[in-house]
Amino acid sequence: MNNWQALALVSVLGLPALAFAEHDGLVTVTAVRGDQLLSYQREGIGLYRYDQEHDALVISQAMLSSRFELSRDWSAHTVLNAHPDPELTVGFSQAYLQYQPLTASRYKWAVKAGGFYPKMSLENPQSGWISPYNYTNSAINTWIGEEVRAFGLEASIKRPGRQFRSNHSFEGFASVFKGNDPAGTLLSWRGFAMHDRQTTFNEQIDFAIPYSFEWAQLDKQADYVEPFEEVDGRFGYYLGMHWDYQKRSQFRVYYYDNNGDPGALNTRTGQYAWDTRFLSAAWLYKFNQQTRIIVQMLDGKTAMGKYRGIDNDFYSHFVLLSHKLDQHRLTIRYDYFKVSDHDDWQFDPNQSRGEALTASWRYQLSNKWQVGAEYSVLSSDAQNRPGMGFNEHNSQQQFQLSAGWQF
Amino acid sequence: MIRITLLLLLLFSQALLAQQIQIVDKQNQPVKNAVVWLKGSQQLTLPDTHYTMSQQERAFVPHVLVVPKGANVEFPNLDSIMHHVYSFSKTKQFELKLYHDKPEQPINFAQTGVVELGCNIHDWMLGYIVVVDGTVFGQTDKQGIVNLPLPEGPHILAVWHDRFNDISSPETIEISTSNSQFSYKLKQTLLPKLELNNDEFDDYE
Repeated sequence: MNNWQALALVSVLGLPALAFAEHDGLVTVTAVRGDQLLSYQREGIGLYRYDQEHDALVISQAMLSSRFELSRDWSAHTVLNAHPDPELTVGFSQAYLQYQPLTASRYKWAVKAGGFYPKMSLENPQSGWISPYNYTNSAINTWIGEEVRAFGLEASIKRPGRQFRSNHSFEGFASVFKGNDPAGTLLSWRGFAMHDRQTTFNEQIDFAIPYSFEWAQLDKQADYVEPFEEVDGRFGYYLGMHWDYQKRSQFRVYYYDNNGDPGALNTRTGQYAWDTRFLSAAWLYKFNQQTRIIVQMLDGKTAMGKYRGIDNDFYSHFVLLSHKLDQHRLTIRYDYFKVSDHDDWQFDPNQSRGEALTASWRYQLSNKWQVGAEYSVLSSDAQNRPGMGFNEHNSQQQFQLSAGWQF
Repeated sequence: MIRITLLLLLLFSQALLAQQIQIVDKQNQPVKNAVVWLKGSQQLTLPDTHYTMSQQERAFVPHVLVVPKGANVEFPNLDSIMHHVYSFSKTKQFELKLYHDKPEQPINFAQTGVVELGCNIHDWMLGYIVVVDGTVFGQTDKQGIVNLPLPEGPHILAVWHDRFNDISSPETIEISTSNSQFSYKLKQTLLPKLELNNDEFDDYE
């Protein structure tokens, strides 16, 4: 049992005795018809979580979200995830303290300390950063769930519309954090992917080993990424702004910069600090109570190596339409993503691009039970695939049937 | 015969007591959910001792609750999630720290005035408790109409709406009971309506 697992047990079993606690959670069992390309999780070039060799019943989500009331203004929040793939692990995807004083001021402020998501996604509003729309997250939020997490402080100030008798609410966020230095690794060597497998603290993610790892310039890089590791000792930061109109229109814009020193390397773990920065803009609009659209755009840069031997730009957007009809929810999403290579390391091509279409049906049987089905098709190109003996272009598809129990 | 006369008298006296009041805005449009009460009225009927301000689907239900001075109000949480209800209003300051179901004690409202309710978790939630000095009160319906049982004689009524610019200042209506129907035009322009389209996915905002 590692430290995080021990802390997980303490938090779930020990803290409730000390403080008022509220828990909710989700267990989803999924029958998957995977693609023939081996998943990145098993060092293949497949961009889905599953593959044909692993067609089976899988536990796709097992999540426990807890909130502990420590005092009047302080609370502790944890999200504990168990994943059977690629091997059974239990860990936290979020764990933070929150200070949210109740004040007479019309402006409301709060501070978070710990490990948490910047709240840039409108696709993942449910407890545990789960999406109620598609089972497979967009390329953007797949990457956020894989490689982006802040370990530090976040301060927020909100101007709630109700306090000003206005239909408009605004909230600003500022964070300084450590860790998250290797963010960008997957985008460079694998490209964007599409799944709902969130990375827990201290986890590593595998990917297909590119031929360029044979070269001296990259021989210190491990065959995996530990995305939340602190490598260079520097602080990163992000700034965010939310604008909400009647809860009908919700807009979020974030600028994130991990301030990575691309020359820094942890030789023990084989992880570089990547200088990764990006802008994310997301908008949700409810046409009516049934139908909504969500769009998000991500545009950024990442670089690694003392002389920025790897220097890539990345970009993705998606458009999601979701319609609720009684207890049915139908969602369709189009994703576009690309990584462009701007360095002169010819031996390490990082260019990749792709498009995907994902359609889901979910049916709420009761308060506790939900069933659903999803079909996804994905077409992608990556310039480093031929070096590994694969076609540069591949098309993939994945079908899944899911049953979820929430509490 | 005597019985019939008594019955008629009873009916007649009740008709006299029921005063229909319509509230209209500056454009003569009916104003719904306006609170109208008789200022300083004596107790005519027993006050309903069970007043409830629920939290349902992340909203206060009713949006506006009128209670007589001294009323106890329960705050049941009908949602599966927790709420943290508070008021910083001069009339009554209180806080119901995160809870499910129903807080153990009702809150007592001993002072007249307006209490603005909020939730520290769902900061779009907004509700009002209007504490009035008497037991003759009501709220207008879609037609802007409220029926109040008024005793004979000239009266001073107060009217209040949550879209008043200053929610601590009700407007005053002077009225005589000579007409059983009475229309009152608000002196002020109402603020634009606050609308909300929140749903279950807005819980974790």
